[in-house]
Amino acid sequence: MEAVHADEFTVEAVERALQQLYYDPDMEQKNVAQKWLTQAQASPQAWHFCWALLRPEKVPEIQFFGASTLHAKISRHWSELPPGQLDSLRSQLIAQVDQFASGSKMVLTRLCVALASLVLHVLPETWPTAVPDLLCAFQTGESVTEAGGQSRCLALLELLSVLPEELQSSRIPASRRSQLRSALAVDWSSVCSLLQQLLQRPDAPSPVRERVLRCVSSWHTLDIALKDSEGLLESCFALLKESEMFDTAVETIVSIISQPDCQRFADSLLKVVPQVLALQEQLKKAVQDGDMETSHGICRIAVALGETHCRTLLEQVDHWQGFQALVSMIMSCTGTPGHYPVDETSSSLTLTFWYTLQDDVTSLDAERQTLYLQIYRPVYFQLVDVLLQKACFPRDEEYAGWSADDKEQFRTYRVDISDTLMYVYELLGPELLRNLYDKLGSLLTDTTQPSSWQDIEALLFGFQSIAETVDVSYSDVIPGLIALIPLITANNLQLAETIMFTIGSLAEWLADHSLMLANVLPVVLHGLSNPDLSVACVSALKRICRECRHDLHLHTTDIMAVSQAVLVKDIHKSPQCMWIMQALGFLLSALPREEILGKLLSLVTPHIQQLEKLASEPPSSANKLPVVHILGLLSNLFSTFDLNKQSQRLEVMRPVQTQPHNDNPVVVVLQQAFPLIQTIVSKWLNEPDVVEAVCAVFEKSLKTLLHDFAPLVTQLCELIGQMFGAYPQASALDLTRQLVHIFGCEKDLFSPILALLELITNITMSIFHLGSRDHPDVVESFMQLHAQVLRRKADLYLSDRLDIKAVFYCGILSFKFPETPTLKATCLLFTELISHCEEIPAVREVLQEDGKLLLQTLLEAIGGQSPRSLTEHFAEVLFSVSRNCPNMLSVWLREALLPPGFPSSHLTTEHKDHFCQQILREQVSKRRMKDIVKEFALLSRGLQGTECAANY
Amino acid sequence: MAYQLYRNTTLGNSLQESLDELIQSQQITPQLALQVLLQFDKAINTALANRVRNRVNFRGSLNTYRFCDNVWTFVLNDVEFREVTDLVKVDKVKIVACDGKNTGPNAAE
Repeated sequence: MEAVHADEFTVEAVERALQQLYYDPDMEQKNVAQKWLTQAQASPQAWHFCWALLRPEKVPEIQFFGASTLHAKISRHWSELPPGQLDSLRSQLIAQVDQFASGSKMVLTRLCVALASLVLHVLPETWPTAVPDLLCAFQTGESVTEAGGQSRCLALLELLSVLPEELQSSRIPASRRSQLRSALAVDWSSVCSLLQQLLQRPDAPSPVRERVLRCVSSWHTLDIALKDSEGLLESCFALLKESEMFDTAVETIVSIISQPDCQRFADSLLKVVPQVLALQEQLKKAVQDGDMETSHGICRIAVALGETHCRTLLEQVDHWQGFQALVSMIMSCTGTPGHYPVDETSSSLTLTFWYTLQDDVTSLDAERQTLYLQIYRPVYFQLVDVLLQKACFPRDEEYAGWSADDKEQFRTYRVDISDTLMYVYELLGPELLRNLYDKLGSLLTDTTQPSSWQDIEALLFGFQSIAETVDVSYSDVIPGLIALIPLITANNLQLAETIMFTIGSLAEWLADHSLMLANVLPVVLHGLSNPDLSVACVSALKRICRECRHDLHLHTTDIMAVSQAVLVKDIHKSPQCMWIMQALGFLLSALPREEILGKLLSLVTPHIQQLEKLASEPPSSANKLPVVHILGLLSNLFSTFDLNKQSQRLEVMRPVQTQPHNDNPVVVVLQQAFPLIQTIVSKWLNEPDVVEAVCAVFEKSLKTLLHDFAPLVTQLCELIGQMFGAYPQASALDLTRQLVHIFGCEKDLFSPILALLELITNITMSIFHLGSRDHPDVVESFMQLHAQVLRRKADLYLSDRLDIKAVFYCGILSFKFPETPTLKATCLLFTELISHCEEIPAVREVLQEDGKLLLQTLLEAIGGQSPRSLTEHFAEVLFSVSRNCPNMLSVWLREALLPPGFPSSHLTTEHKDHFCQQILREQVSKRRMKDIVKEFALLSRGLQGTECAANY
Repeated sequence: MAYQLYRNTTLGNSLQESLDELIQSQQITPQLALQVLLQFDKAINTALANRVRNRVNFRGSLNTYRFCDNVWTFVLNDVEFREVTDLVKVDKVKIVACDGKNTGPNAAE
């Protein structure tokens, strides 16, 4: 098949290729055939061979290719059609459709699409009567009940259905598209009367009616006016009574009434309302019979009408009763009996409607708003009851039988309910909370009727949904709620979890009402020893410690004792232990200064002792995890242990740049633990997880200690050097970057930091020598570190022991990496580096020597070597060159672009000249520079001007 | 049509890179690449609307807001994101949100 000459695109050759495509076992041959067939389809000969392929004696695969080719020619190669050939093409095509009406369905559809494509080319100028002509051509007066008449009718309906679809899917300019849309919409009346006639014929076979409904949906994408489809819509509603037509009828009705444009025809909409309301009987019966499909379908119709046209219908104030009835119908859908998603699936469809109604009512003018609020406030209170009923967990035995998937769906459904309740609070205000509180109170105190845990849980869930996001300080029932909590017997896991989450959601309120802490803390601390409640309970503790830390002094001993006990007993999983430490960090840092160190030491000592024991053992995979775990506990503790925040709170006048406290308790602990950490590092040097955990301890404490960390800098610099020397890791570089950021400008610490920078730069150089490709993370952190140095303390670059040239060449190598973060960091480094070319001689020298290499590398990256999403970052580097060394840029750029085919074979000399001119002119607007580079990147990739590029 | 704002995510960017490569090696046409992207838009809009129910609360001070072409944009300063267990502070956040009623979920980037 290779190197086929154009005149070999014959019917026989095509058939041979198709044979190969379908039946050759060799993938290679299939691919060759596929490529050849694509070429054949694009060739002018295709206009001729396609008809031969459609002959009745051919097999459907070949006929299908013929029909596809015809569509491809008409839709993509229309201009090849010789003038005067249109009539014969049209009549041939119509004849083919007619012939295939009783042939292969897949070929028929392709032929209809081809004919539709032809219509779209010639409408409305050349063939203004296309649609009526086609209606005529296929309506031969035969009855649809006869075989021939039915298949011809189905072919016509297929053609009518694909016409609007072809308009949607083909690439047509916007103005032409709207012209075609209006031209087709004019023909709707004749199409509509045919469709309605077919729907109303009692003897019309089901396939015909199904196809009619599909056609109706398809035409409604053309913005057909609702008033022009009233009769048809009525017929669709009538079909809902027939079970075999039900699903399609629902789809069609929903697609008609979901058109936002319908609102222009309020009168027509008002006629739809009673038709929807008339479905209530059918809905009721379906619910009783457990017929989920029917109730779901009817619910969809009611919601589509209510959701799309809420505002229009509300504005018809005279018809408020009709709309209220629709709202009640939707409420009954929300309250469909049974549990979602096992017994019913309709209720979740309605939730968005309640947002829409609330939004629309509250945005009406004052007078109508007052009127509607009178009607709908009680409705929303009823909605809250319904939603809480729906949020109830099923009976334990029932829930146990649910699949994991059902449980997950139920969880997300409850989150949706929770969101709806939160929004409803905006409308109902604190009265809603009072309502919930009263209900909870009567459930808990009524001794005559035993209450189920499900009902109590649902009410608490309602509270939590609102308190989680809304400021509940205006509500006067929260103290009452908090007093009720200890009365609840949490004999069920779900209930206990919801209690914990509710307490957590009230943490901010508790911060303003610290007296109430004594009521809830014991509940949380009691739950802490239950591993099943781990997440809920620990998160409640953490939220309380975070929000109320300044009021927890009295409870510190209890919290510490319980927390320490559960940590030592290993009750919780590792992540929850970390949260406990964070909670304790908040707690301890808010204590009076003199108490902190003692408490801190008593907290960390057992863990440090454990760590000492582990450090004395020979390293093994069994003791690695506990080492990492304990280091994690320390870093999490220090991450929230922030004395600076505390000082700022106590002494508002204190300057933000605090002087170091020499006695900072964290520093004391770190100094004491330093030798132990050194031992661990020396033993576990080659274990990335351990090294990372050690770095995290210092990184977290650096972030909160800031300048207080100073006494540790020198020894930490040595430790980092030691770790990086043995096993270079990104975490060590990131920690160094933090040190540079905080202490880069401190004279006393200049020398250890510089020494460390020199050391790790040299070590990284050797990684580059040996091949850095396997360490993109190290390269990324290295680039970020040097960018930070240049930004924070460029003086470090004046040292003659720091090999700046080497950094430059490492950067050049990093440009070849495929990893996006590495490339971004490299761009950042060069942007910073170039901006310092004036004041740092070494930078100036290396740029003078090898600026052209930088430019070449950059252009290669822009020209296709690197992902196109990064062009903005490359543009930043170019912009920096253009601003800081414009003279050198003009020389480098022209020289670099000189070789033909560089950086891409898609570029001509004119393209490159134009690019040069634009770049050299641009020194002011970074945005403009980004546009120029983006355009160049598209050109280089051969994507310029393609629809794909425009849409990216 | 589904919103295109998720193209500027790690997943979307990776897809676009792969499509770029396929176009350059002439394995697919730009038109097909566009169809794939449109399919991606549809899928990610639906997935985020239907499969994700995680909730994060945040507060901050509103610096700028605009509502243009049915897209809300908010720029917030000093924002605190609160998830159940975590609190993250960010200096500046830009929120881009589109109406999720008919096409997909509310969206932030």
